[in-house]
Amino acid sequence: MGGFFSTIFSSLFGTREMRILILGLDGAGKTTILYRLQVGEVVTTIPTIGFNVETVTYKNLKFQVWDLGGQTSIRPYWRCYYSNTDAVIYVVDSCDRDRIGISKSELVAMLEEEELKKAILVVFANKQDMEQAMTPTEMANALGLPALKDRKWQIFKTSATKGTGLDEAMEWLVETLKSRQ
Amino acid sequence: MYTLLSGLYKYMFRRDEYCILILGLDNAGKTTFLEQTKTRFNKNYKGMTLSKITTTVGLNIGTIDVGKARLMFWDLGGQEELQSLWDKYYAESHGVIYIIDSTDEERLQESKRAFEKMVTSEVLEGVPLLVLANKQDVENCLSIPDIKTAFSDCINKIGKRDCLTQACSALTGKEEERMPPQKHLDLVSRAESCDHGTIMSY
Repeated sequence: MGGFFSTIFSSLFGTREMRILILGLDGAGKTTILYRLQVGEVVTTIPTIGFNVETVTYKNLKFQVWDLGGQTSIRPYWRCYYSNTDAVIYVVDSCDRDRIGISKSELVAMLEEEELKKAILVVFANKQDMEQAMTPTEMANALGLPALKDRKWQIFKTSATKGTGLDEAMEWLVETLKSRQ
Repeated sequence: MYTLLSGLYKYMFRRDEYCILILGLDNAGKTTFLEQTKTRFNKNYKGMTLSKITTTVGLNIGTIDVGKARLMFWDLGGQEELQSLWDKYYAESHGVIYIIDSTDEERLQESKRAFEKMVTSEVLEGVPLLVLANKQDVENCLSIPDIKTAFSDCINKIGKRDCLTQACSALTGKEEERMPPQKHLDLVSRAESCDHGTIMSY
């Protein structure tokens, strides 16, 4: 009975916490983005072995953001976190042209997972403050995004250290998640 | 027995699926059009707040059911740089909706060039086109004849395909109420010789 009321109550007033994964190769800037979103500051990070999880509130929407380590040896563990994910933020280092192929194959493998069928894909073309950063079109082609025909996706130019592009991206994410509910 | 029944069920409720591309310059109103269409055709769909729609750098999708057909929309970003991604979708499209901003006279030529490039693509040969002159709710916007004149030298490039030009306002949804069933129907009935009777009765 209590459970019944609490369900009604939460459907009326509460917003479900959205579950978001931040994924990408090592050194792409995932942890920097997570803490930029949470505390609004650039923190000194070390390579993540394992994960960081924080609750971020943005426009009355609560996000549970998981930042998973991106090193080759720990990428296989990403899949343990896939269930009930609302959106995936895929972070790519825009200057790392050498490893964009690896980034693509990880992304493709990830999107094939059944548990992520309904998840929204947001690509952060990070480190845009650097010279010779890839443009969104270049990145879309390099990641093979035009091959995705049944999933909504969007690319944002971001710079986690400068803080640019993150607000627009979050705004978009909030609106998209709201309309999906 | 099960196979027979499920086969019958599938036959009765089968929907033909068509993929429709929504193209046009940035800020023409493609995403707004898509959201408005989705809101109108899908019950219980709470669309995005139209004023909150931002520039698309990627793909938005939407599915609606019209009569016996299911339409899948692909709304692509329209910025100049992103136009190079359009042709990746041509091969699988059954129809194209090209949206023009009727208030932006300055970029009309640019829009024409993009349109020209799109219609001359070999992959899209014979694919029906719907050209929408959007933002008709704004005063002093270009009228359909104005736009047709500006696009006049593309006409012979359209070739042998169905092409329909229509005024609309994606934001207010005016004329949408009456128009979309018809124009979708149009696109659908032209896309392939499908079950005309059902769609017409819709």
